[in-house]
Amino acid sequence: MKLTEDEIRKLTLEAIKELGDKATPDLVKSVVEKSIENVSFQNTNIKQPDTSSGRIILTSFGLNSSGIIARITTKLSEFQCDIRDLSQKIMDEFYTMIMVIDITNSPNDLREIQEEMKNLAAEMKVKIYIQHEDVFRYMHRI
Amino acid sequence: MPYQFDEILETIRMTETENFDIRTVTLGISLRDCVDRNIEVTKQKIFEKIIRYGKNHVKFAKEIEAQYGISIANKRVAVTPISIPFDVFRRDDFVEIAKTLDKAAEEIGIDFIAGFSALVQKGFTNGELELIKSIPFALSETKRVCSSVNVASTKAGINMDAINLMSEVIKSLAEKTKDNGSIGCAKLVTYCNIPEDNPFVAGAFHGISEPEVVINVGISGPGVVLDAIKEAGKVDLNTLAEVIKKIIFKITRAGELIGKSVAQKHNIPFGIVDISLAPTPAKGDSIADILVAMGVEDVGAPGTTAALAMLNDSVKKAGLMASTSVGGLSGAFIPVSEDEGMIKAVERGNLSLEKLEAMTCVCSVGLDMVAVPGDTPATTLAGIIADECAIGVINDKATAVRIIPVHGKKVGDKVEYGGLLGSAPIMDVRKISSENFVLRGGRIPAPTRSLTN
Repeated sequence: MKLTEDEIRKLTLEAIKELGDKATPDLVKSVVEKSIENVSFQNTNIKQPDTSSGRIILTSFGLNSSGIIARITTKLSEFQCDIRDLSQKIMDEFYTMIMVIDITNSPNDLREIQEEMKNLAAEMKVKIYIQHEDVFRYMHRI
Repeated sequence: MPYQFDEILETIRMTETENFDIRTVTLGISLRDCVDRNIEVTKQKIFEKIIRYGKNHVKFAKEIEAQYGISIANKRVAVTPISIPFDVFRRDDFVEIAKTLDKAAEEIGIDFIAGFSALVQKGFTNGELELIKSIPFALSETKRVCSSVNVASTKAGINMDAINLMSEVIKSLAEKTKDNGSIGCAKLVTYCNIPEDNPFVAGAFHGISEPEVVINVGISGPGVVLDAIKEAGKVDLNTLAEVIKKIIFKITRAGELIGKSVAQKHNIPFGIVDISLAPTPAKGDSIADILVAMGVEDVGAPGTTAALAMLNDSVKKAGLMASTSVGGLSGAFIPVSEDEGMIKAVERGNLSLEKLEAMTCVCSVGLDMVAVPGDTPATTLAGIIADECAIGVINDKATAVRIIPVHGKKVGDKVEYGGLLGSAPIMDVRKISSENFVLRGGRIPAPTRSLTN
């Protein structure tokens, strides 16, 4: 990994600023060399491509009653989540519902959504699980 | 819908009811640049380096845990075998280093740090000898430090002097931690053919050919396999092997995803997935229960070794397909104290030490968390370790002994360790002596199998 001249200049300026009055040419040189080493270490080691999709899967099940999906989707719309797919099954008095949700445009992160949904699930006395789509893709698709 | 209903529910069932978890995410850190002639400077360097790389280890793992909804049971750290960079030090210095490791582990919020290790299969350096002598002090005066010593390998043969020394160390450690059921011995593993990238503590260390830092992952899911076998019902063995492979494939994929994600957060390389079935004392999370579900009446019945061999092999085959970076021990673990079904088999008198030894021929790792009477002579322990090493050397596989001669306990007693270490019934050891054999000392030469070039 080679750094461009601009990048090296930027590192040098940062080093001079950091060292302040103590800056001597030798000291600056050694600090810059160290930063270059760090930068190239970070760049060379990370080859894992980020293929995650920004989609999450919400699974909910429990005793069926009216308004469950309404309440869940209302909450999701507050988070500006985009529901991409929804499917449900009802067996006697139990329901299972699975949603594929895109959270790319949501101002909230996954953790906040999980937290809110946890409270909602407790309120409605049902189960809600939220997991990143990748885990299903890794386990069930080659 | 991009996924089938059943697929999603299967994943949720695995994580919620079948105890599927990532057993450990282990951060390997090289300490080779921490050496200094002054012990105080060395300690400072070690401490700072572990904190520098490890300070976010637990936090990152927890974030990934929430993201994928798969729990990560243990977050741990493995370091370079301490004897290698710090060869210049003496016994008391090594105890000081162990205390530094302990303090660093506490600081970053992990329960175990491993790598207080030495590789002496062919002989000792001065530092290695000093480190081994320091083990009883180091492990009894710290809480989180784990130690492993490799005493044999297929290439080098079996170092009987090292085995004799280790059995004295085990006895001494048992005595020093007698108030807590000799728990010190649960943190010490004697190895043959030790893998360099094993993420499972107590036997983990950061191998000498590893990079500066690395993330290794150990997966586990006996409960998942157990339910799959039960669901398959009465099918023939080919079909059963297929059932096991399918389920292991899925959990290995999840393991690789978690490992890569944690490594990415740390901004450091991802090493390996160790595809092991590691039991816990939790109900249903047991290798013994799998063997029973496969058809033997209890662990120890004739057929147990064959069932275990098939299970172990299926695990490996599926794991190899699922991940490009399989490593570590990769196989089924058969610890006694950590597996409810194994404990019961011992208590019912169905599982003996000898049958357990036979089972270690076909799985990883070896005699693990086996409690024996406190008055077992050191030479008998040496004989047991030598037998395990012989299995490892001849079969070119890792074997290990984590044996606890529990101070003051007899056959029929039980020691409670709590947590993942579980509870250990004291197993019967044969009274006939190995003394004249093991005390010959020296080295059992490497077998013809070592000449592969």
